Amino acid sequence: MSDADGMTIEEQAALWVMRIDREGRSAVINLEIEEWIGDDDRKRGALLQAEAAWAMLDVGLAEPVDDAASGDDGAADWDDRELELPRPLWRRRAFGAGAMGLLAASFAFAVFLGGGSPEQYETRIGEVRRVPLADGSIAAINTSSRLDVTMRERSRIAKLEAGEAWFQVAKDPERPFIVEAGAVRVRAVGTAFSVRVVGDGAEVLVTEGIVEAWSEVAGGQRIRLRAGERAFVAGNAEVRTEQPGGGEVDRALAWRSGKLDLAGETLTYAIEELNRYNARKIVLQNPEYGQERLYGIFRTDDPELFARTVGESFELRVDIEANQIILSRR
Amino acid sequence: MASPMRRAELVKWVATTVMPHEPSVRAWLRRRRVPKDEIDELIQEGYCRLAGVETPDAIINPGAFFLTTVRNLLSKQRARSQVVQIDIVPDVTEIAGADLAPDPELMTGDRVEFDRVRAVIATLPERCRQVLELRKLEGLSQREVAERMGIAETIVENEGARALRLLIEGLRTQGDNIARDYEERRSRGRRT
Repeated sequence: MSDADGMTIEEQAALWVMRIDREGRSAVINLEIEEWIGDDDRKRGALLQAEAAWAMLDVGLAEPVDDAASGDDGAADWDDRELELPRPLWRRRAFGAGAMGLLAASFAFAVFLGGGSPEQYETRIGEVRRVPLADGSIAAINTSSRLDVTMRERSRIAKLEAGEAWFQVAKDPERPFIVEAGAVRVRAVGTAFSVRVVGDGAEVLVTEGIVEAWSEVAGGQRIRLRAGERAFVAGNAEVRTEQPGGGEVDRALAWRSGKLDLAGETLTYAIEELNRYNARKIVLQNPEYGQERLYGIFRTDDPELFARTVGESFELRVDIEANQIILSRR
Repeated sequence: MASPMRRAELVKWVATTVMPHEPSVRAWLRRRRVPKDEIDELIQEGYCRLAGVETPDAIINPGAFFLTTVRNLLSKQRARSQVVQIDIVPDVTEIAGADLAPDPELMTGDRVEFDRVRAVIATLPERCRQVLELRKLEGLSQREVAERMGIAETIVENEGARALRLLIEGLRTQGDNIARDYEERRSRGRRT
């Protein structure tokens, strides 16, 4: 089939698909297809679109199995499935719920009662740990972090020396749960929130309930943050509060399941974030690409896949070396 | 050219994870007042880029990936043409915003996809539909379809190709409707 006169690209592509359907993608047909495509990107795109539409009919004609009917209400297997098969966005909410389910499960294993000496937790670069605390709370500790937890009779103190952690605090009105990050304090009774050490201040994100945050530096105001709110409390007691859009807080906490969730953040930001998790750093050689926006969920433990995806998306050259990954103009 | 196996995987990946997002990508382009024929062109070039994807598994959010690809093609095209259309300018600043993320409400599941494809198939001309159902639902080969229907194989081929084009066209029309719907909800949201 050559470039038949008067036929649109779409019509030609559809005929190719019928022929592939009949003969399979033999070496011969591939050669002919390449000849037809030449260097016309539109033809290559039209063919893939038509092939995909043809494949879609298998989905469209076969009744799908409802998730509910297949008994897919468990949370435990979500993690693996998410990694196996890329799913459209609609799955994400379900995934979030799955992660919470996991937390609830580990919650059940939590040991009660604690002594007075601090428990120390340290994560290496790239490590994300989920630890049950003695009072029944859960801490998810992000990469390169240090956390000392002390259970006292009248209080529960989690000292974040470095890095970032998210806490699901077990309710205990008698014993407030206080996170210390430098001079910054975040206090909760029964709620969930994260704290990240940034310079001499801390960023606080609330996922559930209400927390109170302030700086120990004299004159620091106390602020109350509700679920979905984010604040930066500087060491000098200056406070910036934000009410990000829906889902924003969940996105920022995707690290709990080993993901980096981007919705328009810059390439520079994404690389900085990913480099937090990997000893093998990504280097962007041409800073003019730094402002490119990225969308998608990436695994924090696989800088190579991230770099390849970015390379494909922005047409950058990707050099994978033993101790770094270089992105540069092609 | 990738091996047949990898090609088949890529095609399946596009069918199940990328195509459902095409309407929202089209809607995004329409919001930027890109003319219709240019939208078709950009979408096709976008699929072309997907054809070059060697590691689809690395892309956890294919819809957003597709949007990013098309957006890049658009900005490149704008830069090439050197003509800054006056109505495009305010929107360019919007690129800095998270507004570009596909609306989750537009994202579809298997169930919705199934209904959408079924709805289009129902509107196909009789012979088209029959060819499609015998081939895809009953799993007959094109030759067997020809025998069953008592028509020549070339007619089966042509009818199948026609059905495919009508299907793509139909899904596109549905996508436009979804986009218009979205547009309306969006402007309502702005007023309040």
